[in-house]
Amino acid sequence: MYLPAGVYHETYTANHAWWQTTFVRGKMGLLFAFVLTLPLYANLYVVSVANITLYTILSALGVQLLIGYCGQITLGHAAFIAVGAYVTAMGVLFWHLPYPVAALLGCVLAGLWSVLFGLPSARIKGFYQIMTTMAAQFITVDFIITKYVSRVGGREHYFSLPPGTITIAGWPVDSEIEVYYLAVALTILCVAGLANLLRSRVGRAWIAIRDNDIAAEAMGVNVVAYKLLAFFAAGVLAGAAGAVWIPSLLFVSPEHFQLSWGLWLVGVVLIGGIGSLHGVVFGALFVTVILELLKFAVIPLADVFPALTERFLYVKEAAFGLAIVLFLLYEPRGLAYRWQQVKNYFNLWPFAY
Amino acid sequence: MALFVELVLSGIMVGSIYALVALGWTLIYKCSGVLNLAMGELTLIGAYVCLTYYTWGFPFLLALLATLATGFVLGLATERLFLRRMIGEPILAVIMITAGLAFFFRALVALTWGTDTVTFRPPVFPQEPVRFLGMVFGQVYIWSFVAAIVLLVAFVWFFQRSRWGLSMQATADDEMAALSLGVSAKRVYALAWAIAFMAAGVGGTLLGNINGLNISVGYLGILVLPAVVLGGLNSVPGAIVGGLVIGVLQNLSDGYIPQLTHGMVTGVKEIAPFVFMVIILLFRPYGLWGWVKIERV
Repeated sequence: MYLPAGVYHETYTANHAWWQTTFVRGKMGLLFAFVLTLPLYANLYVVSVANITLYTILSALGVQLLIGYCGQITLGHAAFIAVGAYVTAMGVLFWHLPYPVAALLGCVLAGLWSVLFGLPSARIKGFYQIMTTMAAQFITVDFIITKYVSRVGGREHYFSLPPGTITIAGWPVDSEIEVYYLAVALTILCVAGLANLLRSRVGRAWIAIRDNDIAAEAMGVNVVAYKLLAFFAAGVLAGAAGAVWIPSLLFVSPEHFQLSWGLWLVGVVLIGGIGSLHGVVFGALFVTVILELLKFAVIPLADVFPALTERFLYVKEAAFGLAIVLFLLYEPRGLAYRWQQVKNYFNLWPFAY
Repeated sequence: MALFVELVLSGIMVGSIYALVALGWTLIYKCSGVLNLAMGELTLIGAYVCLTYYTWGFPFLLALLATLATGFVLGLATERLFLRRMIGEPILAVIMITAGLAFFFRALVALTWGTDTVTFRPPVFPQEPVRFLGMVFGQVYIWSFVAAIVLLVAFVWFFQRSRWGLSMQATADDEMAALSLGVSAKRVYALAWAIAFMAAGVGGTLLGNINGLNISVGYLGILVLPAVVLGGLNSVPGAIVGGLVIGVLQNLSDGYIPQLTHGMVTGVKEIAPFVFMVIILLFRPYGLWGWVKIERV
């Protein structure tokens, strides 16, 4: 870890601190100030883009945990987000639970559901595990939710959530700004929690499994238990993402949780960088903000190629697909690695190394 | 009983299309170990290319041949541009590059040809159904079956008899030995992608003739996974049999499960192949004729 000369730690607590120098504390303070005051001077469009970014971060955290830290490939993560979203929505709509309780229930159930599909990982890996996670997607979203859950309460295909349905302690969460603060709070909580978990005994066990499962077993790590724990944690994070996403939706429908969203999240992790929490944030920023900016690049072309603006969604998908391919070919370690390189350059400046 | 036979026969007919696409998938996996998530998009591209040729006024057979030629070129280009650098990379990277290609290709198709359902006009195959022993079949199914079988036989002949096909078999069997005997692995990989593009293109065209063509024809690419898992990932005959069996199973479950459960379980057509896939993975993960070489934890 990089530390400038002259920084001495006198206690273990100081040695373990996340932010060790005044410069870093100041930098992070500015970042927090920026994030917390964003809605004061940004318009609603910017806030809604920020909401999508936060939702992507929350969703991709679980994927990063499974792929980047525990080495378990998952392509069906959208299924667990769907479980979180649906349980929360049903808790609020049908069981009249307060939103935080329903969200908590959603997180726990999503975690347990994820463990169910993580069970085969005790015996298989590689291709067959990928098949299992894809099966999780089809069974959960395309079968159970589409065929049965969506029909609960006589509604066809989706649950509508009229504004004012979701309240926290009597305070309605329905505008973009309220969702923004909810999402910011939850994202900070989840990122901080996961970052700390990853440097604890549990996180080290996960990393050992990722690097070499046989060696980890030989070192006394209970591989199966820790893998299932990773699936549970990833499921809980997915549930949190689902729960935080529904207040900004007018309705919940299976359309929001297709296989392509799970693949999209893996793409976010790859673009950001595998095995890095920074990577999740960078990847989410890249796919949401950069692809949103693409809209402004496309607008001048509207007269020549009207299809580009009419079907902008597909322009975005094409750019995203191309971005994954190019990152894998030319920057396989992702944006987080590039960020590290930039920081190193300035830390060592004016010397090359 | 007539219903049963009818369901089985029409399942085999649709299954032959699945078999064609599964063959392309398995070929890539067998030769280069790449798990291809973009198969559905390859079928989309092929189908729309064929439709374009057809609307330009080509006779259908000529359009199909032109599609094969286009697929060959596109396959070579895809392999050269994107896949060749990924040889030897971790499995996730290779899968995700095909997933990235899937996003890219599907979006390109939607941007170029739109998202509305289009049909082959005028219809390629006669519309009136054929009656046979009291059973009714659409002619389009029968002709698709014939076309798929012809192509399957052609591919199998290619693998068994031609020089290139034999070099592909050699590479799949033991790459190091094949290399030392002067087989060019690069050419084999390129050829595998070219053939996959061709097979997928014809499969997509035939399916587009049956139901009309829109972006959801790409679902075929996901449906191919149960077929190849059933047949064994690296077995060409397995892929063909797997495709046929999945077609039949899909039809039977669609025909019988709603009756047996008194309408409680409906619309199983899309999901049934994946339920079968999970069952196969549980009890016989290497499929019918796959290599019993599963990495267990």
